Amino acid sequence: MYAIITISIVAIIVLFFGAFGKKKMILPVIFVGLPLAFIVNLMGWNQSIHYFNEMYIDDNFTIAFNGLLLFIALLIFVFAPVYYKSVKRPLEDIYALILFSLVGGLMMTAFGNLVMLFLGIETLSLSLYLLAGSKKSDPRSNEAAMKYFLTGSFASGFLLFGIALLYGACGSFNLEDIKLYVIQNQANIPAMFSIGLLLMAVGLAFKVGAAPFHFWIPDVYEGSPTLITTYMATVGKVAAFAAFFRLINSSFGDVDFLWKTSLIVFAVATILIGNFAALYQDSVKRMMAYSGVAHAGYMLIAIIALKGNAAGVLLLYSVSYSIATITAFAVLMMVRKETGSFSIKSFNGLAKHNPTVAFAMTIAMLSLAGIPPLIGFSAKYQLFVSAIEQGQLPLVIIAIVGSMVSVYYYLRPVVAMYFTRSIESTPFEAAKLYKKQILFVALLLIILSFIPGLIINLI
Amino acid sequence: MVMESFSFMQSISFLLLLFPLLGFLAIGLFQKQLNKKLSGIIASAFVFLNLILTFILFWYVSTTNQSVETNLFDWIKFANISIPFAITVDRLSALMLLVVNGVGFLIHVYSIGYMKGDDGVNRFFSYMNLFIFFMLILVLSSNYLMLFIGWEGVGLCSYLLIGFWYKDHANNNAAKKAFIMNRIGDLGFLIGIFMMFHTFGTLNISEVATKVSLMPSGSTALLVITFGLFAGAIGKSAQIPLFTWLPDAMAGPTPVSALIHAATMVTAGVYLVARSSVLFVLSPVTMNFILIIGIFTALISGLIAIYQNDIKKILAYSTVSQLGFMFMALGLGSFSGAMFHLTTHAFFKALLFLAAGSVIHALNQEQDIRKMGGLRKKIPFTFALFAVGAIAISGIPPFAGFFSKEMILSVAYEHGMGMGIIATFISLLTTVYMFRLLFVAFYKPESDAVKTNHHIHESPKVMLIPMAVLALLSMVAGFVQIPALFSTNVNVFENYLSPIFLTAQQLVPASGQNLTVLTEWLTLLIPLTIIAILVYMSYVRFAKDRLPSELSGIQKVMANKFYVDEIYDFCFVKPTEKLSLFFRETVDQSIINRLINSIGNSTLYVGGRIRLLQTGNVGFYLIIMVFSIIAILFFNLIR
Repeated sequence: MYAIITISIVAIIVLFFGAFGKKKMILPVIFVGLPLAFIVNLMGWNQSIHYFNEMYIDDNFTIAFNGLLLFIALLIFVFAPVYYKSVKRPLEDIYALILFSLVGGLMMTAFGNLVMLFLGIETLSLSLYLLAGSKKSDPRSNEAAMKYFLTGSFASGFLLFGIALLYGACGSFNLEDIKLYVIQNQANIPAMFSIGLLLMAVGLAFKVGAAPFHFWIPDVYEGSPTLITTYMATVGKVAAFAAFFRLINSSFGDVDFLWKTSLIVFAVATILIGNFAALYQDSVKRMMAYSGVAHAGYMLIAIIALKGNAAGVLLLYSVSYSIATITAFAVLMMVRKETGSFSIKSFNGLAKHNPTVAFAMTIAMLSLAGIPPLIGFSAKYQLFVSAIEQGQLPLVIIAIVGSMVSVYYYLRPVVAMYFTRSIESTPFEAAKLYKKQILFVALLLIILSFIPGLIINLI
Repeated sequence: MVMESFSFMQSISFLLLLFPLLGFLAIGLFQKQLNKKLSGIIASAFVFLNLILTFILFWYVSTTNQSVETNLFDWIKFANISIPFAITVDRLSALMLLVVNGVGFLIHVYSIGYMKGDDGVNRFFSYMNLFIFFMLILVLSSNYLMLFIGWEGVGLCSYLLIGFWYKDHANNNAAKKAFIMNRIGDLGFLIGIFMMFHTFGTLNISEVATKVSLMPSGSTALLVITFGLFAGAIGKSAQIPLFTWLPDAMAGPTPVSALIHAATMVTAGVYLVARSSVLFVLSPVTMNFILIIGIFTALISGLIAIYQNDIKKILAYSTVSQLGFMFMALGLGSFSGAMFHLTTHAFFKALLFLAAGSVIHALNQEQDIRKMGGLRKKIPFTFALFAVGAIAISGIPPFAGFFSKEMILSVAYEHGMGMGIIATFISLLTTVYMFRLLFVAFYKPESDAVKTNHHIHESPKVMLIPMAVLALLSMVAGFVQIPALFSTNVNVFENYLSPIFLTAQQLVPASGQNLTVLTEWLTLLIPLTIIAILVYMSYVRFAKDRLPSELSGIQKVMANKFYVDEIYDFCFVKPTEKLSLFFRETVDQSIINRLINSIGNSTLYVGGRIRLLQTGNVGFYLIIMVFSIIAILFFNLIR
């Protein structure tokens, strides 16, 4: 709760500084505000405080995921100054929008009421629509914003419709009340209830980017400015998954026959489409977009295998996916800055003149592919184990096949960096700007690889 | 890992493993930095420390009749399998400790002189200490799995040291041959271990012995286990059919041949069978098999040894023959006899190898005995020491070989007159090839090579003193076990080991008939007379300068080692090569590769199709979303 307040205040201060032309003050405020929010977020650990008639629930799940979201946001802001280095105007609007969308994300993990869920999703989404189009001079950015807005509002409509139908069936937006209703009416669930639930699932599946509602992802991820894409692919996805998990876990665990089959179909389709479509991409940015789709498929498995320590598994997977994705996108930003292209060819021979960056990219790719001993492996392993314990063996087999396919496209940049010669041999100028930050995230990824057990047992 | 407080003896037994490991790490890791003169001293010092510890432990187990068991940590623990990393010092392993550390220390010291000036001397000593470490794991382990680790470890060191001078490709081939042949035996060993775990549910040596002593004799499970273990022993101790690696292993430096391929590692097979005595006595079929293998190996390799011209090859075949003799003793149920011969053999065979090394050292790496001759006067000390070894190994009283051979021969005669005569014949072969070697190399008039070589010199003291110690041991070590004929009181060796083999002896009591005193005198005196005649004949035949006569048919076969290598080459090596070629060209390239590639290509093709779904048209996206929602609702509500 206090994190939301802190971030909101920081965002408003940022806007003020922008308005009064104090450009130099903007980033310091953010770099103070985000860690501050991270700390106040930690208060209330193990206390499970409910605010405003259970609108907002501050339990360990919330704190862990909000901590992750704040941390990811901080990491992304680390890259903001270098990414926007050539932009002369104050960027208070973009930074404020990112912070406001973060507020939406923080709500999504903590809602105790469907209204709050919708509020959170819309706060996140509306800011993201704008951010996607924030590079106003680039038609692709505009196109991305337009597409995102059209499909996103379409999905929000279904989500809202689903909420309305659920209210019609249970007479309440409160998750506890809905759970009570489910327990009382388990035998004869009305059609209104199941339709409402399915439509909500569709809405959320869209937000996490699961097939067949993933079509916006490649276009939007590719068109948006890379920093924003990173933000969408990490904060946006993790928040949506936390919301999805909390929704299903707190109210609908007892009626899994209503949603399980659909989610399994989503997961299978997402894993297969994401991984297979990524094979043929020439643009690494687009490839990473499909990789994001594929990972959404894996993370859906954590929701399907709800029992056991699924929340911990989801947290571990979110951490591993986010940090590796940020590393990869950071390298991508650097390469793009130097070569002006996202193409896989621009990675050629990177290892020769920028070994550190090439190493970071390799670590990120291997972790995403799930190669031991990196954290991506532990995350996938724990995920599959918990799914098998819930009897989802066929699903796990498909997921493993998908993983195997993914190794191909994840290794393509690695092969290009290490085994293909580049035309130019001078070190990238941009590397000087990015090198330290990239090394920092890569090291973080390696350090995290040692402590998967700590993360998974956090909640 | 819970650190328990160890008693004094337990700490000592733990240190036994620590010292050589430290030596290996210290010399191995700082190969480049370490002074070449220092590494030998460091390595020898660690083994010397081990030797002191060994004396303490030996004194303890021989006076208290207790064994020292140390559980260092739990090594493997899952489900109902629990295998601790534990070591046991009992009377049998204490004896092996004496042999390994005692002979090992002497050979380490000798190597300081022998390896002087070699570029890889640091590497050499690190391997030597590593070998001691693994050999100690082998003899100390209290379960079969750890024993297997040591077993493999010494195999590895053997491989590394045979191929020590890796620049010569022949050495590498010899190393590979040793490794591969050992692997064949090790497979049997592993199967035996698995079967053992399957049958008894434990790999602890003493627990297995307790459980097996309740089983009936001759069960199939025991047959499989004992055959498996013995297969391992065949590989490691170079018995028929896996004996051809040992003569090739002489490619390594001579101290290695003395330590690994004569005194310690190759006797591990004998130790394994003796250690598992309870298992083996309850499987009479295996015991007979061991007996037959032992006899044939001793016989064939003894015959081959007579016609070899390489000084080290003769000794190698002699080792194979003596090992066969030990297995014969095991097959006859005389575990203490085998262990006794193992011990004395370690002394005089190490001595012989070191003396041979001294000869080779003096003659600038010359190993062909036809190019020697007259060395008696050129290097008198080496000659004297070599002669002691030759007398000892030939079983001439009062040297050690006489007593250990006599112990085995008396068991053989008790088993039956035929068996006794075979055993005597085998032991007489030793006299022939040893004295041929002695006379050709040391007595025969100097060959041209020796005459023109003015650099022939006696070896330095650092080499001679260890040899002298071994010579002394070869002379007196036998007196701990005097044949019953002379005195019934001196049975120190047998009494020392009797607690170890007590269970085996009780389960299957020796069935042989006692011999009359006259027969015993005859079986003792007739062979000795023949030995005397043989020595004289060899002197006449080899010590004079006579042209080598043409080899007759059967002699040619023996000189060519019964063509075993060629037969193996034709039966196993060539077909394996053809088969691997077939698998590489046809199965791998044409079938598997094509299959894998087509899977990859079809995956890519599917990817290419799926990509086309992404049209970039928002209307299309929305339509698909709507259709999907309709489909989902449809399938969920119709049910």
